[in-house]
Amino acid sequence: MAQKSLLTPSLIFIVGFLTICPVLMLVLGSFMNGFGTFEGFTLSKYVTAYTDPGLQDILVNTLIFTLGSATVATILALFLAYMNTRTNIPFKFLFKVISIIPMMIPHILFCVSWVLLLNPSNGILNTFFVDFFGLDDAPFNIYSLHGMILVEGLLDLPIAYLIIAPAMNSFDVSLEESSKVCGASNLQTLLRITLPVLRPAILASAILVIVRSLASFAVPSVLGIPGRIYVLPTHIYRIISSGFEPDYGQASAIGMSALAASVVLIYLYRYLTKESSRYVTISGRGFKPTLIDLKQYKYPLFTVVGILSFILIILPVIVLLYTSFLPYSMVPSMKAFSMMSFKHWHSVLIDPISLLSLKNSLILGIGGASIGIVLSILVAYVIVKVKTRSAGVLESLSFLSFSFPGIVIGLGFMWVFVQTPLYGTLWALLIGYIATYLPYGIRPLSSAFIQIHDSLEESSRVSGAGAFTTMRRIVIPLLIPGVVSGWILMATMFVRELTLSVVLSRPGSEVLAVQILRFSEDGMWGQLSALGIIMIAISSSLVIGVTLLGNKFSRIHAN
Amino acid sequence: MEIKIKGLTKLYHSEGKIIKALDDVNLTIGDNTIFTLLGPSGCGKTTLLRSIVGLENPDIGEISIGDEIVWSKEKNIFIPPEKRGLGMVFQTYAIWPHMNVFDNVGYPLQNQGMPKDEIKQRVAETLKLVQLEGFEHRPATKLSGGQQQRVALARALVAKPKVILFDEPLSNLDAKLREETRKELRTFLTGLGITAIYVTHDRIEALALSDIIAVMRAGKIVEMGSPKKIYFNSDHPFVADFIGRSNLIEGVITQCSNRHATLKTAIGDIIGLNTHHLTVGENAIMCIRPEFIKLTHTNNTKEKNIFKGVMQNLVFIGEAYEGDIKINDTLLTTTIEPTEDIHEGSEIFISFSMEHCFLVKS
Repeated sequence: MAQKSLLTPSLIFIVGFLTICPVLMLVLGSFMNGFGTFEGFTLSKYVTAYTDPGLQDILVNTLIFTLGSATVATILALFLAYMNTRTNIPFKFLFKVISIIPMMIPHILFCVSWVLLLNPSNGILNTFFVDFFGLDDAPFNIYSLHGMILVEGLLDLPIAYLIIAPAMNSFDVSLEESSKVCGASNLQTLLRITLPVLRPAILASAILVIVRSLASFAVPSVLGIPGRIYVLPTHIYRIISSGFEPDYGQASAIGMSALAASVVLIYLYRYLTKESSRYVTISGRGFKPTLIDLKQYKYPLFTVVGILSFILIILPVIVLLYTSFLPYSMVPSMKAFSMMSFKHWHSVLIDPISLLSLKNSLILGIGGASIGIVLSILVAYVIVKVKTRSAGVLESLSFLSFSFPGIVIGLGFMWVFVQTPLYGTLWALLIGYIATYLPYGIRPLSSAFIQIHDSLEESSRVSGAGAFTTMRRIVIPLLIPGVVSGWILMATMFVRELTLSVVLSRPGSEVLAVQILRFSEDGMWGQLSALGIIMIAISSSLVIGVTLLGNKFSRIHAN
Repeated sequence: MEIKIKGLTKLYHSEGKIIKALDDVNLTIGDNTIFTLLGPSGCGKTTLLRSIVGLENPDIGEISIGDEIVWSKEKNIFIPPEKRGLGMVFQTYAIWPHMNVFDNVGYPLQNQGMPKDEIKQRVAETLKLVQLEGFEHRPATKLSGGQQQRVALARALVAKPKVILFDEPLSNLDAKLREETRKELRTFLTGLGITAIYVTHDRIEALALSDIIAVMRAGKIVEMGSPKKIYFNSDHPFVADFIGRSNLIEGVITQCSNRHATLKTAIGDIIGLNTHHLTVGENAIMCIRPEFIKLTHTNNTKEKNIFKGVMQNLVFIGEAYEGDIKINDTLLTTTIEPTEDIHEGSEIFISFSMEHCFLVKS
């Protein structure tokens, strides 16, 4: 018992340090004159930051970018979820693929593949259109607000889908049927019943996408900066990375707005997802809903879904693979194929910084996820099984970092580490990663713990199994799926982490995504693609390997 | 309004097998009748109801409501549910959670484009009818189960449909409320003078509510008739068993009189009603309901329908004893007055009237 009473406070201390500390230091730092010392209180940073005449455009861009991405992602997710749950569209397994696989492709690579396709000077598709139709100018420009919204919307589609699809799935179809019996047409039913009933899920998805796009760094940096379109994260990045003297105080002052907006939005999101349980009505055995027969639209609509999954999953990999073998960007042709070589692969594999970033990312991915998962198991255990008030505090604390925009929290950690020996080391990155991505580890584990209802353990004890046997044969096998998915989620996030890393990484602690960003800034697309393919391969093999290991493990223990 | 169903068949494909959810159903439901489809789950009763209302597309056959054909495979007619002008109460009530009571009930009228004042008046009238006066502005989610059920009923009635359909509307209520609502609904529907089609798997509900019961099994209507006819004298052993608890005893007919016949069985000769005019030598089943088996002090087993047995599995359930009487190797289920002095293992004599047991073909 003494053990238990110590567990909760020490976890609150650790998680509190991870989440509250950077925020506190960020606030303090925004009032400081210099960097590295906490002396000389000043308001001047706020004054400079918020009287900048360029800020208004940046805020407008940020607003359009986040709202636009939320609209794109949510509408696409609604369409896909409707097709999957309510119609007889063929090949439904694709929907599951769409919702999972894009997580394996790092966002920055997805952006780069769009640059390679649609940049105005030599994008493959643009060149193709210019040649084919004899145009004077490239028809598309990915370095635009439209381009950013499209790509960010596609990137956040899986998240929106994961929120909307379950809501659509648990939707009581008799609500629609009764509307039709009451004389409403299909369209009226959609507008007056289906969408309003789904409103909490739709809003929740939109808000979550807004938070994600507000925190997004890959899209604004790869697509926005070349087109001189700045949003809050890239504005902060510009303040700390360019010029002779990076101004961390001013960056922190700006960061406060992004942080405040995110925290408010996330609490709104939590409120809405709680609110949606209000909408649960009496549910019967439920007659299996008749699927809507799409008739002649079946295959055209499937083509749309097919194209979407192609764009989301296959296209980025193909474009990167293709580019990694070519000396410079060109439309696929006999000439192009004859010029292919391993030149870029070779130069990446002898480039010391690329190799170092590869090694660092692997260490951070595997080591960080393993440490992170242990912390997640403990936190999830306390949240689910120890239902005291301090456990509630822990839950709120661990959920908080979910709303932190990476670059802002990176700044916060900057202030935390600056006077410690951790500054500029892999440890700084490791702590930052775990702090930011802890909710991703906790979530699958708390659902695993919820599944292990007390009575499952108790009935094992009553059946004559001791505490140890109960642990081995009941608790661990039931926990393993949660551990596996938590670990995978964290490891893949860590391997591809960009936003925190651009702030915290220093010479010697380079990581893959930052190295890719450097390549992209320098326009070294060939090397970038080769390194990107290696990155995707690492993420995918982590996912596959750990899934297999988990399956094997739970079989052994259950027997 | 009369409903006619001709040769209705609906197929389901499941794991490579074809299942007939409806198998050549022919049916006429008369005007102003409370008509119940009764059967075990999976018998096709809900599919039939949903086909009538237009939520399900059958594969073969024709459905007409009044003079209008609403669905016909042959003539390629499909009138969508919103154009059929019916009212329906769903099993889950399907109360729209984002609307208040007024909008839920007024919805069918709004779809007809009725002027607002008139809608207001009609909704108020209908809510009064279902005893929910003044509930207009209550959010739908702030209603109890019984209230939701009545809102659903009001919504189904508000547009004054000629036919109202019920899909197991009482199955989500608790036992006590279910009993009360059952009584209310019967009085209510009779008063309205409306054709009602009611789907249930609960035999008591079916008996209490209906003018006509159709018992279904495996996509077919096995038997149709008034509650009393089905209870006291069903044609089919499945129906006899499904509509109430019963002892089914097999045997051979040895003697026939005008209305009765004698069945030679393992426990002896039993005399019962023979309305199906089975003849001597035929195999048949005698159906005896537990509630008609009485204890008797006459111990002459030579007399008609008197048997000697041993009391077994006796349980006291308050309103009665329930138990089995073992006669030779046959067990007869019975209910006994709670005031009787009886114990497990007692030797007893039982009798039942030949008017209250009946023969069905085996």
